[in-house]
Amino acid sequence: MSQATMPNQAPAASAPPPGLLRLGVALSGLTMLAGLATFALSLEHAGSTGGKATKAGTVVNVTASGCEPAQLEVPAGRRTFTVVNQSNRAVEWEIIDGVMVLAERENIAPGLRQPLTVDLAAGTYAITCGLLSNPHGELKVVASDNGAPPTPLSKTAFIGPLAEYRVYTTLELRKLQAGAKALAAAIDSGDLERAKAAYDAARRADMHLAMPIGLFSDLDQRLNARAEDFARRDQDPDFAGFHRLAIGLFDHGSTVDLAPIADQLVTDAAALKTRLDATAVPASQLADGTARVLGAWSDRQRGATVLTTQDLADLKALTEGAHKVVTLLSPLLASQSPETLTSLQSSLATLEQRLPSSAGAAEPPGDSPPAGAAPAVLLNPSVLLKETQALADSLADVNAALTQQG
Amino acid sequence: MTTYRQCIAAGALSLLTLGATAQAAVAPESLVGPIADYKLYVLDNLDQFVSHTKAFTQAVEAGDLQEAQALYAPTRIYYERIEPIAELFADLDASIDAREDDYENGVDDPDFTGFHRLEYGLFHEQTTDGLKPFAERLMSDVNDLDSRVQDLTFPPSSVVGGAAALMEEVAATKVSGEEDRYSRTDLWDFQANVDGAKEIFELFKPLAAQEDQAFVSRVEQNFAAVDSTLADYRLDADDPQSGFESYDEVSDSDRRALTGPVTVLAEDLSTLRGLLGLD
Repeated sequence: MSQATMPNQAPAASAPPPGLLRLGVALSGLTMLAGLATFALSLEHAGSTGGKATKAGTVVNVTASGCEPAQLEVPAGRRTFTVVNQSNRAVEWEIIDGVMVLAERENIAPGLRQPLTVDLAAGTYAITCGLLSNPHGELKVVASDNGAPPTPLSKTAFIGPLAEYRVYTTLELRKLQAGAKALAAAIDSGDLERAKAAYDAARRADMHLAMPIGLFSDLDQRLNARAEDFARRDQDPDFAGFHRLAIGLFDHGSTVDLAPIADQLVTDAAALKTRLDATAVPASQLADGTARVLGAWSDRQRGATVLTTQDLADLKALTEGAHKVVTLLSPLLASQSPETLTSLQSSLATLEQRLPSSAGAAEPPGDSPPAGAAPAVLLNPSVLLKETQALADSLADVNAALTQQG
Repeated sequence: MTTYRQCIAAGALSLLTLGATAQAAVAPESLVGPIADYKLYVLDNLDQFVSHTKAFTQAVEAGDLQEAQALYAPTRIYYERIEPIAELFADLDASIDAREDDYENGVDDPDFTGFHRLEYGLFHEQTTDGLKPFAERLMSDVNDLDSRVQDLTFPPSSVVGGAAALMEEVAATKVSGEEDRYSRTDLWDFQANVDGAKEIFELFKPLAAQEDQAFVSRVEQNFAAVDSTLADYRLDADDPQSGFESYDEVSDSDRRALTGPVTVLAEDLSTLRGLLGLD
């Protein structure tokens, strides 16, 4: 993927190459039709190997003082438990993973039995046994067959991560809109320091949203295009958005002439909200889209001899956005490809440790700036760029690891 | 090469989310929006829960018995609305909302904390004496819950199944009047559980209606029946903030009138997960 940039219409920092995106969509459609039958079959198969919900499975008696037996062991997979209440009060029975309730059966009346069917991964769980003051029992789930390939992801596996990502984008968008409004107000009143602070807050949210914004190349250009993307560079009448504001606020130290640009930012942030409300981020974009924005940032800075405070803050926020995505994909990777998860988490941790913990607080490694230089400007950023690209590469491997089926 | 592999992977991933149309009318990706909206609802309620708990526990710590009694029920409703998510955290659910019958030694059990321990002090003992540690613990547990829920990826089946779980809870502990036995503010919790279940139902209603319009109509009728019986016991029909009469005032015939629709709602809503392809 070479950097074939056209001076007039170069994509902004986080824009995906539109051709690739279209190709991906078209291929997805084709692959979907071709793979549908196979996929349905593999789901059938996964279903029939599980336990049957109709049989009693493992019987657990809950007495006035605890569970009998208090230690259970079952193979991993879909398992049924039959809970028999032998105490004289209604009980609930729960399987607990750490502090989280994994499955529960509520309000089992004295003398009655109730079944509970649950999908269990290998590990050790606690079970509740009536009164909260009764000791917990233990449920050991052993891997059924060590050599077996992982069960393919269920068709519902991405609902939770995608919903959580939608919550994240909604909350970040609120911060972007609030920050843009605060910025416009500060510029209106000519308050440079307040404007800089509002810029930082709005820009951080904008970078957290780099992946979904990258799905809309027009809005991405209006918000994130750089001077070098325009024919007349920073004198170009079309040059607006965050980078135009940063030049005014941070390079020129002035709010003069920035009011219309800030107002446009408020309008564009509102347009982004309308667009995102109506758009579902595809599952494949979580990893691929995040890889793309990190790769684009790294490409953009390649050969740079210094990184400014704003560059470092941008990378830090991009990494925070990547962290969210890694968190969402981790449970899926843990079951499908633990080694991919390990390498992904390690490249994320490496980059996070390299970044300053807060602007100006810790100097990242690299050559320290000479005495008297502006603080937090990083000289010789090649290590940081390499580690950013490494995280992008790890993310680019994720989708293949999630869809390999044995 | 990498690009080609990524496209294949993207295709397989869209299968995971789109391909299911061949098997069920409700496509998995159509659940993403409602589940996200539900988390936003839960986060809004948690914000309220944290600030109301702050006022409530401050009243207890300040020794203001009347104020603490008045704030007990209006604080709890935010927890009762979001219980399908809140009770996923077993340790906090026990320390925030367990009742004395959950412990071998009842009210004297040292592990008995949270709202119902405070309820016992405020309404049975009629004093704030000795309640300060319970108030402090409640506040820190609620803050802990807030930060854990913010980080939580909501399990889709807990969200969709939450509507039935709330109505089962109403059937099990609210109609009997055992939840708030000292304060007799059960109807506040009752309404909050119903509101929490209705929120989930409303979010998934358009999808459920595609599958089974009769189911949707039946659930709507039963919610309306429960709401209208509850409305008879509002202190001020035009002001939801004013709350409810004591549960002692609820007539036997109204208790029976509530049992019917509540039980049917619990049963009907328990089919929602299967209807939406989440079983």
